[in-house]
Amino acid sequence: MGNAEQASNEIIHYLPQHIDFLGATVHMQTLYMSWFACIICVVVLGGIACGAKLIPGRAQCMLEMLVEWLCGLMEGNMGKEGRRVFAPFLLTLFFYIFVSNEIGLLPQVGGHMVHFTSPTNDINVAFALALTVMAVNYLVGIYRNGFGFFGHFVKPFAAMLPLNMVEEIAKPVTMSLRLFGNILAGEILLIVLYQLAPWVAPDAWVFFSLCVGFLQAFVFTMLAIVNFAPIFKHEH
Amino acid sequence: MVDFDATFFAQIINFIILLGILGKFAFKPLMNVLDERANRISNDLDSAEKTRVEAEELKAQYTKQMEEARNEAAAIVAKATQNAQNIEAEARTQAQAEKDQMISAAKQNIENEKQQALADVRKQVIALATEIAGKVVSQKLDSAEDQALVAKTADAVLN
Repeated sequence: MGNAEQASNEIIHYLPQHIDFLGATVHMQTLYMSWFACIICVVVLGGIACGAKLIPGRAQCMLEMLVEWLCGLMEGNMGKEGRRVFAPFLLTLFFYIFVSNEIGLLPQVGGHMVHFTSPTNDINVAFALALTVMAVNYLVGIYRNGFGFFGHFVKPFAAMLPLNMVEEIAKPVTMSLRLFGNILAGEILLIVLYQLAPWVAPDAWVFFSLCVGFLQAFVFTMLAIVNFAPIFKHEH
Repeated sequence: MVDFDATFFAQIINFIILLGILGKFAFKPLMNVLDERANRISNDLDSAEKTRVEAEELKAQYTKQMEEARNEAAAIVAKATQNAQNIEAEARTQAQAEKDQMISAAKQNIENEKQQALADVRKQVIALATEIAGKVVSQKLDSAEDQALVAKTADAVLN
């Protein structure tokens, strides 16, 4: 953990590592990497989508395959209306988490000048995303179903209210800890492997982590879809 | 990294901005293209189905017309054959009648000629016989009784 902490704190040395904002600390390394992930998402996805044609090229085909796969999952769980409402949010969530997970596996640039880390190895990011999902869930749920949306807290009977509340609190906690833990552990293990066995083993781990990064993005998105599904249960 | 701090809020703002940008500049155009393609494929399939149905109808119509034309042609040929047969039969009948008529007329002519010839011969014979008889008996047999007698004799000889 010490090595990982040290490594991840030595990222962009010519820019501040922390800034204080209204008495609270902002971890700038995480934010730099978030911006980097955002820029990649906007450039790649925006670039492909803005040049999208009726007869697609290779890149557009790849993107369409991913988008249609995710939209299929959304439609299967939330129906057409659910897909229409949540597709931009869930696609953004998936691609942002996916890119965030993978950029931590990029090699260091210019010695120790720039060290890429995943923004999702910061609990703040994972928890922010999970809470955003829950907040959107409640807002859209109330908007579409009124306060009757909270009726599922007392189902199948009122005595289940405490358990249902624990479950509701556990959702964002488990979502965020799963994402954060997987990505942080992957990066720590990569650093440890580089120091223990610099050849082959880290490469195999990078390949594995690439898969884990995709899988975690999918799991997070899928859990969000499952959370949103009850909003459209009357329409689906 | 494992401490909760203001990064949490910064991250939420970050994500909302990203959602706005990607939603407007990436997913909206992409979804439009996907929808447009889906609509186009659906329209093309509908159009192809419509064209196929029209082609089937046209084919059925052409087959029916061909069948009708074939039947009509067969009827025309049958009618023509019948007409030809009728004309042939009529011509044959007419020719037969004409032939019979000509044969009958010819027979009549021959009979007439024969009668005429016989009359002429009879007249000649009478005259000749009379003349012969006159010369034979050296007297003139020019009375009506003489002529009748000679005629009777000549008829007896000729018949």
